[in-house]
Amino acid sequence: MTDCVECGAEVSLHEDLEVGEIVDCDTCGQELEVVDTEPPVLDRAPELDEDWGE
Amino acid sequence: MNIGILYSRIRKDEKLLLSELRERGHTVEKLDVRKLEFGVGDPPEGVADLDIVLDRCLATSRSRYATQFVDSYGVPVVNSPDTADLCADKAKTSIALDDAGVPTPETTVAFDTDSALSAIEEFGYPCVVKPVVGSWGRLMAKLESRSAAEAVLEHKATLGHYEHKVFYVQEYVEKPGRDIRVVAVDGEPVAAMTRSADHWLTNAAKGAQTKEFELTPEIESLVERASDAVGGGLLGVDLMETNAAQSAAEQSSGGEPRNPSYTVHEVNHTVEFKALNDCVDVDVPAAVVDWLEAKAETGVPA
Repeated sequence: MTDCVECGAEVSLHEDLEVGEIVDCDTCGQELEVVDTEPPVLDRAPELDEDWGE
Repeated sequence: MNIGILYSRIRKDEKLLLSELRERGHTVEKLDVRKLEFGVGDPPEGVADLDIVLDRCLATSRSRYATQFVDSYGVPVVNSPDTADLCADKAKTSIALDDAGVPTPETTVAFDTDSALSAIEEFGYPCVVKPVVGSWGRLMAKLESRSAAEAVLEHKATLGHYEHKVFYVQEYVEKPGRDIRVVAVDGEPVAAMTRSADHWLTNAAKGAQTKEFELTPEIESLVERASDAVGGGLLGVDLMETNAAQSAAEQSSGGEPRNPSYTVHEVNHTVEFKALNDCVDVDVPAAVVDWLEAKAETGVPA
């Protein structure tokens, strides 16, 4: 469990958390990037860029 | 093995791969391309020692340059920078497919709004304008009239990045409400699915319904040829059935069913496979890692 950097609400995290993964804040909807796992640290995820894709 | 993964975002696809690689005892070096500095002739720390690098960059621009640098360090990288370069650009993909004799939608590129409008009028309506770089069905325009075409072209010329002034105009293919996605490794299919939607765009990212699809020898051959055309690797080959609607109509009126024909409209070089993995019996990440291990053992020409 850690706090959303946008709204401060608690964000529940699953166990196999991976740096670079994106989680959503259930309270405000902000996409959050996992920047560390031990302990978990979240930051605002980058906005979608035009050349993203597959 | 010591396997590097170029990434900037860990999607479910990358999590599946990471899990499979670690379960098999491989050491995985996660290479966040946002944090690396690629020196000319001077690899980022740890990269030179990798057995193989898998490109999973979310951003096409990063994919193209990062693979080029890794390749220049003599480290095997998949997909190759040449494949990335071809697949990242729809115009280059179209040329490569056509050169290889792979059926692909009729396409014209123009660099000016007047010549683009002329190309559109030659195709007639509806036709399609796509960005040369882009994915997930974004910024695709199905043009139904001259006035719509004029508006889209003006918007692209005025508001867009310079790449939007490369006007990629394509015939509109009347497909039976679905297309076919085949994930393949060096031309050998891993699994396939249909993507169905009421909308003309049938990308999984747009919410299309996915269903396992049984490949035919004809499609397998097309996938192999499309893969060869862009240099091989781990690819998502997208096809449309071009005469399925006519065939169904003929069949319903008592005629003999006609075999569908196919056209390859896209080849994706950092293919997402989570939707495919969810709808087929094949373990897609396991198949990808099997292939990756084989590539690392045999060595990828770097």
